Amino acid sequence: MHRGFASLLLSLSLLVLAACGGRAPKTSGAEPGARLLTEPQYRSIIADVFGLQITIGGTFDPLVRTNGLLTVGASLARVTPAGFEQFDRMARSIAAQVTDPAHRDYLIGCAPQDVARPDDRCAEQFLGRVGRFLFRRPLEREELATRVAEARRAAVELGGFYDGLAASLGGMLVSPSFLFVIDVVEPDPDARGSMRLDAYSKASRLSFFLWGTAPDEELLRAAAQGELHDRRGLERQAERLLAAPRMEAGLRAFFDDMMAFEDIARIEKDSIIYPAFSAAVASDAREQTLRTIMRVVLEENGDYRDIFTTRKTYVSGALGRIYHVPVDRPDGGWTPYEFPEHDPRAGIVTHVSFTALHSHAGRSSPTLRGRALRELLLCQKVPDPPGNVDFSKFNDPHSPARTARERLSVHALQPACAGCHKITDPVGLGMEHIDGAGQLRTAESGVAIDARGSLDGIEFADVGGIGPAMHDNPAAPACLVDRMYAYATARPTQRNERKYVKYLEREFARDDYRVPALLHKIAISDALYAVRPPVEPSPAFARNTP
Amino acid sequence: MRGAFCWAILLPCATVATAAPRTLGFVITTWNIAAYETRFADECPLGLNPGYDELWWRGLSKPDRAKFTDNGLKSRLERYFVAIRRGPNGEDVCMNPTSVKDPPLMLVEGEKSYGMDLDGKDGVATGKSCPHQEFTGLDGTPGVDNQLYRLLGCVYGFRSYGQFEANENENRKSNGKGMTLIEVTGVDDVRNDPDVRVTIYRAVDQYTLDGSGRFLPYGSYRIDVADGKPRYSSTLRGKIVDGVLTTEPGDVNLPFYGNYTYMNRFLRDLRFRIKLADDAASAEGMAAGYLGVDQLMFYVGGLGPIQSSAPANCPSIHVAAYEVADGHPDPKTGRCTTLSSAYNFKAVAAFIVHGESQRYADGWFDRVRRFISDLRASN
Repeated sequence: MHRGFASLLLSLSLLVLAACGGRAPKTSGAEPGARLLTEPQYRSIIADVFGLQITIGGTFDPLVRTNGLLTVGASLARVTPAGFEQFDRMARSIAAQVTDPAHRDYLIGCAPQDVARPDDRCAEQFLGRVGRFLFRRPLEREELATRVAEARRAAVELGGFYDGLAASLGGMLVSPSFLFVIDVVEPDPDARGSMRLDAYSKASRLSFFLWGTAPDEELLRAAAQGELHDRRGLERQAERLLAAPRMEAGLRAFFDDMMAFEDIARIEKDSIIYPAFSAAVASDAREQTLRTIMRVVLEENGDYRDIFTTRKTYVSGALGRIYHVPVDRPDGGWTPYEFPEHDPRAGIVTHVSFTALHSHAGRSSPTLRGRALRELLLCQKVPDPPGNVDFSKFNDPHSPARTARERLSVHALQPACAGCHKITDPVGLGMEHIDGAGQLRTAESGVAIDARGSLDGIEFADVGGIGPAMHDNPAAPACLVDRMYAYATARPTQRNERKYVKYLEREFARDDYRVPALLHKIAISDALYAVRPPVEPSPAFARNTP
Repeated sequence: MRGAFCWAILLPCATVATAAPRTLGFVITTWNIAAYETRFADECPLGLNPGYDELWWRGLSKPDRAKFTDNGLKSRLERYFVAIRRGPNGEDVCMNPTSVKDPPLMLVEGEKSYGMDLDGKDGVATGKSCPHQEFTGLDGTPGVDNQLYRLLGCVYGFRSYGQFEANENENRKSNGKGMTLIEVTGVDDVRNDPDVRVTIYRAVDQYTLDGSGRFLPYGSYRIDVADGKPRYSSTLRGKIVDGVLTTEPGDVNLPFYGNYTYMNRFLRDLRFRIKLADDAASAEGMAAGYLGVDQLMFYVGGLGPIQSSAPANCPSIHVAAYEVADGHPDPKTGRCTTLSSAYNFKAVAAFIVHGESQRYADGWFDRVRRFISDLRASN
């Protein structure tokens, strides 16, 4: 997937030079905050620090999708008591695995003098090394001493060095310093009266943006030596991260979030109506779309908008049965596949990951599909249905209406519904040649489907027309820029950043909609690291606060 | 609009008259001996045949019955290994069917049968056949040849409520061995095409089933390959008329697995009649041809303990098989060596995977051989 990285870097450099003519609008960012790790970030960090063999059980509290992203929702999240209980359970389990006989020899890196007794030297060595990656900064001397003391005390109480070490490590894994990505600010020496993110906070922001995980050794070193406050040092690190194979995982994490793929794990279909749909189909559908996007935007460094029209994709055995296409490896693995010219399926909107995810268990849904397309891919807000909406006519099994278009035409006559359905249904009805499981069809209930649709003034005859309509819709690349910037900052975009986002949209177009160029631009921008000094509480608030 | 939906190789599309010939693929899901059974087994006026266990039991004295069956407490399965070795020197009578002289097999005496007219004659001897009585098809077609049905139609284990047939299909479903692929190439029109080719392959991939164990169409199946060539690839000429595909007769190697026996089943003068579903997502049909008596007895001899719950008696079948054999006389003895036979089958649409990807479909030995070959080349 990464054979083009050398040329990619070269072209990035040229793009940067070319872009020097345009000045980026200044931003003042947002107040420093703290963001809860998302589930993918948590899992990535544990895998990076301890290896993939450490399993993570338990469930994560759901995050509220905010501004289209769970990552942004994490900036508003709090840990509930039940959520903390889950974190605690996971922490204990991870710590127990790390210190168990199967893993301790190569994960701990030192051995105690006596396994039945505390060993401060080994505990300090391990906790100091691991803590630096978990907290994304070196531990303060006192902080480390406290962790070592915990390990010592627990070793005495529990009767063994490794039990003590597990207790202390478990404590670190439920610490706010691990669970929250905290913006630490310091006075900006280059702008009197202003604040800036400290080097480690910058490192975290860069790493979570590009790799979806905590900073690695080299990035922490660069932070320690102050290189991230220097433009060339920052560029060097950003380009290193962009050129690394790990970049793909980071970009996948972004698109996984943008496409709301976390819902795929909960997808259920009626097995009588859709016998070919299975859990394997759902899981592979997510992977198919991510592979397709990665090929366009990363492997080929192509035009982002091509993800809506590309006929090239990948299929697994399970997906082959849904798409009715042959696969080379029916027993597992992926087969590159290109839908032929006469096939209406092209682009990610026709993938199972979109059409089946945004459908009901037993039938398609033009409304859900239209809404998802507008909200996820065009960043347009579609209001929720009113609480008193009457679905009886729509759901009436004895209704003479045989197709979704006929049912919706009756339902949308209700004034309370008509407004939103005008936004969602014209495009959603254009996808009716794909059923609720993602399979092509020509008829519903024995009636030929009229799959004409339209999107923002572009009319098309069937689902084959949606890709080009999306490709040419200016809201699509603008939406990506909006989401990408919000994902990078991991917080809602501020009013003072709107001009900057508009600037990025223009730059994205100038760069022929190349995603790596956009990533690079954001990664080395001042805007990504800008912080406003926290607002002091008003005197009245301060007086009334105990 | 219909023109826009000619995307899949399996779907009919009459509007694209100039399109390149397409390929239809199917995987056979069930395969059964075409046996016509009446509700009260009228086709077997003398009743159904006794199995090996009944014949063994008849030959035992009362004290021996008690001795060999733990006073009658041993089940048929438990006593199988004693009962089947009732040859004069303890021979397994299925492996050595000529070691005993058993009562003659009661044959089907009904007049009707499924099947096809294989010899084009009225059962008279020709250079290629032996005299035999012919059946009338259920639709009144005269001259139906199906001596396999005449032979086995009154054997409990081979009837629809016996176990052999159901077990065969279940075996294939559960372990995927002996799965047969049918590929129809050169199809210009799936409703009417005067010239197509039908090739039989063996699949190496398992059936694709839904959560309830039902066969799913449109699975992909790689073909069994040895030394870069399909292990099975018999081809017949055919034509499609009103959605019914018929082939000319030809010798065909059919992969077969059932009742724990794997074999290459060689069927001579085999022909197919396959009714394609309108959407070509499924098909059902009949295959009819000549099955060698030796091949049949290899299979029957290997049935083993399954016979304890599906009675059959190998020595009686062996003798009768040669008596009713109607095809391919031995040039030296003049005795016929094959049985006319017919089989009903069902199939679902499948993608048959050829080409470069076949390297993955090689058997284990092929892969090891290739690995060693590569290793030598690299040294």
